[in-house]
Amino acid sequence: MTQPMDRRGFLNDVGIGFGGVALASILNDESFAAASNQNLAPRAKHVIYLHMIGAPSQLDLFDEKPELVKRHNEPCPPEVTKDRDFAFIGKTSTLAGSPWKFSKHGESGQSMSSLLPHLGEVADELAVIRSLHSEEINHAPAQMFLHSGYGRGGRPSLGAWVTYGLGSENKELPGYVVLLSGPPGGAGTSMWSTGFLPSKYQGIQFRADGDPVLFLSNPDGHSTDDRRRVLDTLATINQRQLKVTGDREIATRIQQYEMAYRMQTSVPDLMNIEGETTETLQLYGAQPGKASFANNCLLARRLVERGVRLIELYDSDWDHHGSIETKLPKKCKETDQPIAALIKDLKRRDLLKDTLIVWGSEFGRTPIQQGGDGKSKGIAGRDHHKDAFTMWLAGGGVKGGVSYGQTDDFGMDIVENGVHVHDLNATILHLLGLDHEKLTYRYQGREFRLTDVHGNVIRDILR
Amino acid sequence: MRMHHQQEKPQKQRDLTGKTRSIAKALLNIINRSFHRRLFNASQSLIACLVTLVLVVAVNAEPPQSPARMAKVDFAKDVFPILRRSCFECHGEKEQEGGLRLDQKADALDSGMIEPGSPNDSELLRRLLLPRGHDEVMPAIGDPLSKKQVAILRRWIAAGAAWPDEMQVASHWSYVAPQRPSLPPGMSEPWVKSPIDQFVLDRLKEEGLTPSPAASPEKLIRRVYLDLIGLPPTPKEVMRFVADPSDERIESIVDELVQRPQFGERWARPWLDLARYADSHGFQRDDLRDNWAYRDWVIQALNDDMPFDQFTIEQIAGDLLPEATESQKIATGFHRCAPTNVEAGALPEETRTEQVIDRVNTTGAVWLGTTLECCQCHDHKYDPFSTKEYYQFLAFYNNTELEADRASNKPSSIKFQGPSMELSDPNPELKAKRSDLKAQLAELEIKKTSRLGLLAKGLEAWAASTALVVADAPKTHTLDVVSFDSQGSTDSFENLDDGSILLVGGDPPDKDVYTLRTLTALKGIQGFRLDVFRDDSLPGGGPGRGDPKRRNFVLTEFSAELCKTDPEIIKAGNSGGEKLQFASATASFSQRNWDVAGAFESGVKTGWAISPKFDDSHWATFVLSETLDLQEETELVFKLRQQWGQSRTIGRFRLSAVTGNLVADSVPKNIAVALKKPVDRWSPKDRRALTNYRVGLDATTKQFDKRITDLQNQLKRLVPDTTLVMVELTEPRMSAVFARGDYQQPGETVQPGTPAILHPMPPGDSNRLALAKWLVSPENPLVARVTVNRWWAELFGQGLVTTAEDFGLKGEPPTHPKLLDWLAVEFVENGWSMKQLLKTIVLSATYQQSSSTSDELHELDDRNQLLARGPRLRMDAEMIRDNALAIGGLLDLKQFGPPIYPFQPDGIWKKIGGISYQYKISPGSEQYRRGVYVVHKRGSPYPSFVNFDGTARFACTVKRSRTNTPLQALTLLNDPVYVEAAKSLARRVRAEKKNGTLEEQIDHAFQICTARRPTKTERDALMGLYRQQLKADSQDEPQPSSQSKKDDAWYCVATVLLNMHETFTKD
Repeated sequence: MTQPMDRRGFLNDVGIGFGGVALASILNDESFAAASNQNLAPRAKHVIYLHMIGAPSQLDLFDEKPELVKRHNEPCPPEVTKDRDFAFIGKTSTLAGSPWKFSKHGESGQSMSSLLPHLGEVADELAVIRSLHSEEINHAPAQMFLHSGYGRGGRPSLGAWVTYGLGSENKELPGYVVLLSGPPGGAGTSMWSTGFLPSKYQGIQFRADGDPVLFLSNPDGHSTDDRRRVLDTLATINQRQLKVTGDREIATRIQQYEMAYRMQTSVPDLMNIEGETTETLQLYGAQPGKASFANNCLLARRLVERGVRLIELYDSDWDHHGSIETKLPKKCKETDQPIAALIKDLKRRDLLKDTLIVWGSEFGRTPIQQGGDGKSKGIAGRDHHKDAFTMWLAGGGVKGGVSYGQTDDFGMDIVENGVHVHDLNATILHLLGLDHEKLTYRYQGREFRLTDVHGNVIRDILR
Repeated sequence: MRMHHQQEKPQKQRDLTGKTRSIAKALLNIINRSFHRRLFNASQSLIACLVTLVLVVAVNAEPPQSPARMAKVDFAKDVFPILRRSCFECHGEKEQEGGLRLDQKADALDSGMIEPGSPNDSELLRRLLLPRGHDEVMPAIGDPLSKKQVAILRRWIAAGAAWPDEMQVASHWSYVAPQRPSLPPGMSEPWVKSPIDQFVLDRLKEEGLTPSPAASPEKLIRRVYLDLIGLPPTPKEVMRFVADPSDERIESIVDELVQRPQFGERWARPWLDLARYADSHGFQRDDLRDNWAYRDWVIQALNDDMPFDQFTIEQIAGDLLPEATESQKIATGFHRCAPTNVEAGALPEETRTEQVIDRVNTTGAVWLGTTLECCQCHDHKYDPFSTKEYYQFLAFYNNTELEADRASNKPSSIKFQGPSMELSDPNPELKAKRSDLKAQLAELEIKKTSRLGLLAKGLEAWAASTALVVADAPKTHTLDVVSFDSQGSTDSFENLDDGSILLVGGDPPDKDVYTLRTLTALKGIQGFRLDVFRDDSLPGGGPGRGDPKRRNFVLTEFSAELCKTDPEIIKAGNSGGEKLQFASATASFSQRNWDVAGAFESGVKTGWAISPKFDDSHWATFVLSETLDLQEETELVFKLRQQWGQSRTIGRFRLSAVTGNLVADSVPKNIAVALKKPVDRWSPKDRRALTNYRVGLDATTKQFDKRITDLQNQLKRLVPDTTLVMVELTEPRMSAVFARGDYQQPGETVQPGTPAILHPMPPGDSNRLALAKWLVSPENPLVARVTVNRWWAELFGQGLVTTAEDFGLKGEPPTHPKLLDWLAVEFVENGWSMKQLLKTIVLSATYQQSSSTSDELHELDDRNQLLARGPRLRMDAEMIRDNALAIGGLLDLKQFGPPIYPFQPDGIWKKIGGISYQYKISPGSEQYRRGVYVVHKRGSPYPSFVNFDGTARFACTVKRSRTNTPLQALTLLNDPVYVEAAKSLARRVRAEKKNGTLEEQIDHAFQICTARRPTKTERDALMGLYRQQLKADSQDEPQPSSQSKKDDAWYCVATVLLNMHETFTKD
């Protein structure tokens, strides 16, 4: 273990100023990185995780199934649904072919539906995994499972593990930031909670309405100058107390008040996108002052520029049990352009190579129909499907233009290269330079891991 | 120890280049073999290797050993437990990572890991001493061995690594029941106040340390207040103690504090963390649940100092006690705190199984200090618990009913249910009123039942007469229009062949009244029908005239008059007619909030409209109150008022009179069909349908229903509060071992039973009650230790066993084993009294030491495990809030009842899964009640608590983390709760020291926050701030009054005071 050698020296100097911002972490960083040598080379420095809450239909976006289209409205063969639970539908539903056309994109010929014209333009950047599978079939447990490797809550999320594992790069912003468009998923804040890890690793929600970070603004009538005077006086008193009691926590406390003060400037600066060029705003379809997924994508890039390690975007209303033919195009319209813009924008700024983008959801949707009469040309809706769904990764150490994993002719099951949620999480950690088997935390008598006792890195999609 | 690479080593040695080999050989003469190996691994870089060597030498270097230190090591007692704890998980009976097994003599000694007599040649030691994070460091999982443990292994190997064939390996310490230890000598030491101090002093002496001086009286009384009631003392209380800081005085203060009602509130908090108590279900349908009576039960039980064994039994199995009281049943809310997944589509049995598993794991953590959950899928890797034992334990909890079930076969109908008990009402008046209402309700139900019987009996006769009515189906008769008049100046109209009237003209008036004169001589007119048609000539095809897109009309009033007077007079404009009364109206369709019934009431705010169904024809029938029989041709005048504006008027319509039975028109098809059948052909379904139809028409039944609903609503408003309880099924469920922990794969069936390593369960019942009694049996080696250790941790920041949640093999051994056992034995012998035990601890000299530390002490023992100083901890989330509110004089000490809703920013309780959750801030001082009462929604907990390490309470939490973050600073500086506390403190100080100088006021405020007087530096800093603020420009007002400047300045001072580290630290 490397010993912070100048602890004593710092403590004596604490009255001089607050220039040494990294000292807070030296003093108080219990992070895994601080306590152990890392032996994996990181491929990504940042992660932007795009979670479409509710589960988009992979069969209408990424996983083309001509057989399903051919046999549209035929009853589903019973052997296909045998030993399988669905959340809502019975096992006697009809097969539901996608009403949308698929085509090949990019040099790699990635297959995507007509709902994703913009994403098609960056197809060569994506590693599309069509063989994800999960263990939970209801939203909240599946969301918890995806983010914490455990479907019952109370465990740290991926972001918390990463922040614990790597610490924070930026000293004026949290290392782990969450942006929402629409209400959060059923799992609520547990998707970005620290579980049993210390609360400093929690995801901090930056909000579009009110204070961007809770309690960021000074109370009415209390100016920045007032606050500065308050903090200076506070520091004087805390320093005296530090000298008298020798309590190192006080030194950290002084630093944290200074960081809070800096956040009061840095966070609003970050959230204000008015300084972006018209071209950039148009690229994303973002509008200053208007909360949207597009704005959040742009904010994600700004957060990456500022060194924030992990950024999660949650977009709601993807749970299309019915009216999928109107709702899915609407959601795609809201998200397709901004996501493609994010990839393009990161790339032209040379940030994509250091930034891993993950797109996906807690599970996918069934190849059999929910609702409808089983006679119409189109489809009414699709139920939850945990046994085979699609996610994609891009940037930060990921091979572009890759298709990984295959499902059967119906898209019901995986036939090649299955990727369990634990495998995905192991891969994300790997790309960040963290060995998922070694990133452990001892709690209530057990060494916990994000991947429990499972997980294999998906080597084939790595650069 | 996991040794992956041992197989590869010989290979690597063979691969060495000659050059390296010769250097290595030279080195071998001076260094041992383990370094040699290190060198091979790093052979690419000799320099790096040499640096490493130096480091390893430094670490390995043992000081010259004194004869005492060279004392013989006892393998069974000293060595084996170390190997068991740190190695057997991967190199034991169940797993042999890298082919290595260390739990058996032959395997271990043949492994090549241990070179008897040559510790420095032993690979085992080399691995143990590698730096953390190194690829080969051992143990691969878990903490490195302590220096002391390594030294023991070294001495054992040096002495020849003796491994007796026969040995008695002691059980792990925590599985052997504690005995009262003999006290170490030293009672005569003046410092010692309690046996606790003897144990502590003994250990300090061993380390060559001395205790810290006693804390100042100010700090001591504050510490005791915060620890016992969670609130700070007032300056008066401080002064009184400072005047006489004797042992007798502090004892009487402690005695008084543990009697305060706030004691239970302060100590309920950690217990509720264990109980994962919350006010909502968790998961997507995170609805609120009523279980707060359980929270109140905990507070009351702690205040009553309920013996811990009883406290346990009532919570685990209060419902199963003979003649269980209400309070004992409420106590079982402990396990009803388990989160429950009631998301649409969730499977009830899965949800139930998860809850039962949660109960098992929580019980293991709370009463046994053991992580049982590992055994869900496989035998515990290091602690002596098997999977089968896990499911035997689970069987105790497997016999309660489903707590989430589907109301129908629809997956979305899953609901939270399970036993909920009405709380007895402390208000006798309400109780009386409720029983009165219930009696009325019962009476009405009887009346209704007899009425229904009556209706069912006469069904055949009724059907016969109704059949006649139905046969008399209504007929419409288009009325001859004599004249039509509208108010539009450019309008004209056409009489079309079907008898309808079409309005013509491109400029319809905003509002209109159509007047129609018709002639008819019909008999038996029941009502009039208005047909509204579309027409291509109308904007967008009509039927409205106003807008080609919004083709609506609003018929604000439909009226009819019977003209009896001379037609000539009528022509002159005097209708003089008799207005016909309508009883009801029906229509093909009515727009929401624009029901056709509104069209025969006068007034422009009601009327008939048809949005969004613009593409259909529509009709409305207005039913007369009395049948109209005309004797001769008579003129009827109709007025169609359309007063909404924007030409929302009808473009084409037809009026008809309706004869025959209108009721027949409304008879549903299935009834009409059944009525046509002879009685003996009725199917049971017909009969049921007819009965229901008849009941639906029956005015008497309707009246009963209305009164019943009314009474039920009244009762609902008076309903007593409820709480969740455990109720045992009469028929126990079968329990089985789940393969890989999957409830859908039950294997071998099991009976309830407790783990074999622990004390046996007496014969007799094997239900939850038996389990509860077993948990608190005096033979249980764990429960008293685990419990006192948690309380110790609450006072000192960490337990004597620092892994308070894990007393198993992997847990830390106690820092003061004898002290722990002494406390455990004391606790049980004093009748499991928590208050007695806390009193013993806080009256010890150990607890009463000053909490300041020195650099030397910090270097030696930064976590204060040796207890050479007093405790110094940041308060936990709830206490920080309570403390600030108390300082500000805002705190409302009202106890008990439903949760409170303090201020939180908008939008925290977001809409989830289609359900939105209202957050209404509690009125008045309710929002300033203690943190233990703050509503806890698992999916979105109170943010300022989360920022101070409050947990979401999704699972049992034994130990919260204690972090130090910028969000904490922002919370204390800007959360409106703390802003208000600061303002209130500023007001309070100036009110309490009205005639004091600024200096006196600041001193007073400082003492409110910290219990002590400020030093000169501190006072000067605060006074300086105050003066600077007075001089500063105001942000809001150009020329602020001197009063508001003073308020601002004081607010700044109070903010500093509330944000001082000392203010929210127990020191």
